[in-house]
Amino acid sequence: MFAVETLSLSKRYGKTDALRGLNFTVNEGEIMVILGPNGSGKTTLLMILCTILKPTSGTAKVVGIDVVEDGTKVREVMGIAFQEARGFWRHKPSSILRFHASMFDIDPAKRQDLIERTMKDLELWESRDKMFMHLSGGQAKRLETAKVLIQKPKLAIFDEPTSQVDLRGKRKIWDKIRELRDQGSTIIVATNEVREAEYLADRVTILHQGQRVVCDTIPKLKDAIAGGDIVEVDFEDPVSEKLVGSLNGLGGDVSLSPEGNQLRAKVSKAEDWVPKMTSASYVAGAKIASIRITEPSLDDVFLHFTGKALADQP
Amino acid sequence: MSQLSRLVRIARTDFSYFFRTKWLMAVLISLSLSDMLVVGLVYTRLIPASNAIGSSYFQFLVPGIVVVGLFSAATDTGRRIWLALREGVVQYYLTLPIRTRGLVGAYIISGGLGGIVYSGALLIIAYLSFMLFGAPIPVQGVLYALTLIPFLFVLSTGIAGLAAFFASVSRRGEIYWVYAQALQVSMVTVSTVFYPAQTIAQYLPAPVATIAEYNPLSLAAGVLRNSAFGGNALETGALANLLATSLPLAVIGALAYWIILRTIRLKGKP
Repeated sequence: MFAVETLSLSKRYGKTDALRGLNFTVNEGEIMVILGPNGSGKTTLLMILCTILKPTSGTAKVVGIDVVEDGTKVREVMGIAFQEARGFWRHKPSSILRFHASMFDIDPAKRQDLIERTMKDLELWESRDKMFMHLSGGQAKRLETAKVLIQKPKLAIFDEPTSQVDLRGKRKIWDKIRELRDQGSTIIVATNEVREAEYLADRVTILHQGQRVVCDTIPKLKDAIAGGDIVEVDFEDPVSEKLVGSLNGLGGDVSLSPEGNQLRAKVSKAEDWVPKMTSASYVAGAKIASIRITEPSLDDVFLHFTGKALADQP
Repeated sequence: MSQLSRLVRIARTDFSYFFRTKWLMAVLISLSLSDMLVVGLVYTRLIPASNAIGSSYFQFLVPGIVVVGLFSAATDTGRRIWLALREGVVQYYLTLPIRTRGLVGAYIISGGLGGIVYSGALLIIAYLSFMLFGAPIPVQGVLYALTLIPFLFVLSTGIAGLAAFFASVSRRGEIYWVYAQALQVSMVTVSTVFYPAQTIAQYLPAPVATIAEYNPLSLAAGVLRNSAFGGNALETGALANLLATSLPLAVIGALAYWIILRTIRLKGKP
């Protein structure tokens, strides 16, 4: 049984199709990252899974329970950290967490310890006397994550869990999400941040315009891109068209920046291509300032499968 | 945990919200006290005792102020629902393991509780001021007041229901404020809270007098005057009228709130 399974899932808002016949599965105990730009349907999918939204058509099941037919049971096994933190404005963080814990039957004897430990882990303890409305954006996001962590649900959903959170905080949240997976929860993380996806994902689903484009592990997704290595070369001065032409002849896909002094090439084997490129540059009199060899990023994977850059999407 | 205990927790959390807005509490209490102790006492000197108002205008007005307090506190439910919708708390509630009808019930109950607790406090202040200004309080009146609590609770849920309805149709905060004021004018002004039915019938058209007479606030104020402060036995007919006029309001509110939740589930927003 899948932890999450959707079949031909669609959601329409007026004339806009947010999801279009989505087939999507998540295995038990894995972290599935849904990667997609704003408007790709990520949040709509999560809102359907947590039963806030009803689908227009199709089915969605969480641990085998239909989200439309038995929403209350789904909510018993599921926890969500919203993209925009939701809390009682005039309550303190510990009071919000106590309420949340009580709604999910967390053992009252262990509740206070668990809340205190989680708040300390997420660096919220110092803000324990502030009201929710006085928390910073990052603190409110961490509180949102804390709700799910104390709940330890079978399915934990995080919608852009580290937006507005500083780098140190991001790493803490990511580690706690992985810890939750290790304790047996199935996790879905929706993000448009490539680094977050790379750090967390057991598998990645790329969502584009309400449809699943591809779903696999990150190494397999990267392997699927023709070439495999990316070589970025900075020249001291803009290079000639002639050199670009000869570099294109060496194999791979070469593109030049608009300024003409930065070159990006997707090649099969960087160790073969780079010596040829340096000698061609030497012959053309182009001075190389630096060379970087990298793997393709998930940005490249997204570009490869959708034809569009992740960052440029609306 | 059962659905009922989750409902109670949500109702309690929402109910506590009313008392967390300290500035609102301060304004409400000062308005109620000034109505009771300033307006009541000054007008008593201006308005002579009569069959319509009884032995003094103070004794006529104070039970009415208790009912107005119940009205104001119950109406605050609408403000809380409006804020909860905009701040996303309702969407959070929708992810909790409680049925939609449980959520609706929780809001209506918390509205009822807000009204009853606030007006209960005013009732105690009213009894104290009666004692202070030499007006007699029959002992059985206190017992009648306790008996009236469930009926006043239903009235409070009804008003909370109306407020929920207006919150659901208000796109902006100031629009809700306008609706709340309109509700106050129509329910409090066209009632026998401040003036007796005979006076209304003398100066206003008959339909207005009839509306004022069967206004649930008038009925509640009448029962309080007659029994809680007058010591006369509770009349079944008056209590039945109070229930009959309050319950439909509570149903309207429950329906309105249920429609809000359903709309969120379909459109993602209220």
